[in-house]
Amino acid sequence: MNKQNTHTEMVVIGGSAGSLQVILEMIKKLDTGIPFPILLIMHRKAQSTSILPVLLQQFSAMEVIEIEDKTEIKNNTLYIVPADYHLLFENKKIMSLDSSEKMNYSRPSIDVTFKSAAEVYGEHLVGVLLSGANADGVEGLHYIKKNNGTVWIQDPETAEVDYMPKHAADKIDYDLLIKPDNLANFINQL
Amino acid sequence: MSKKKILIFDDDTTILEVITIIFEENGYQVEISETSHDILERVSSFQPDVILMDNWIPKIGGVEATKLLKNHEKFKTIPVIYVTANNDIVALAKQAQADDYVAKPFNLDDLEEKVAKYLN
Repeated sequence: MNKQNTHTEMVVIGGSAGSLQVILEMIKKLDTGIPFPILLIMHRKAQSTSILPVLLQQFSAMEVIEIEDKTEIKNNTLYIVPADYHLLFENKKIMSLDSSEKMNYSRPSIDVTFKSAAEVYGEHLVGVLLSGANADGVEGLHYIKKNNGTVWIQDPETAEVDYMPKHAADKIDYDLLIKPDNLANFINQL
Repeated sequence: MSKKKILIFDDDTTILEVITIIFEENGYQVEISETSHDILERVSSFQPDVILMDNWIPKIGGVEATKLLKNHEKFKTIPVIYVTANNDIVALAKQAQADDYVAKPFNLDDLEEKVAKYLN
């Protein structure tokens, strides 16, 4: 759970190989009227089309938006970082896209967005790291903790590819290990 | 009862991943391919009940890949549903000799309905 007496202003979720099924399961179960935005950073091939938001929208009560440069942040909205860009928060109202070098062989990089979100949202941020095959996101989670945010990690035993969550669980003083079935419930309770 | 089998040719891994999850949840057996270079071997080994073919599938493209199947004595009766975001979808599907077509971005319910039509 989130820290007591701290209201959530943003949930950032990072995932790579094996995370899409967890995300699909989650969005089907999210309550309507979530009072904060949710941002998905998924490793995708550079030439990936923008069909992912269209597909996810078919399961989601929330509006699903693929981020463009200078996208305005609204509550009760599911944002997806586009392929081949890093996502940075300018402040609590605006997100921007960045095409600088790959981090951890990845663009978008989960670390880049987690760090940026941690600086902007501090203790009002929840960072979630799901299934994946590289270490992207671990340093970002560390940064979220350092800025008093909340860290959830997918239970590595439930991950299709456990390298990323296992690495994170070993290194980070996390708040919660999440099973895919429970992710939406925990978000609904924030 | 054995599961109905779908073979999907598409170079977009996100699409492949989502469709696979959805169709497997609905009791289908799914195989995917990001290229058409070994199309005859894939069809021969998997023996699909229906094929989804993307227009931009690497190597020989969706039109030629579908024609290859439709002119093959063993595989010509397997239904092929042509999938593309191209505005000329009807002409492309016809040129490919596909049995049907679905425009991208598709509604997953519509896609499943269309697949089911060829399995009954």
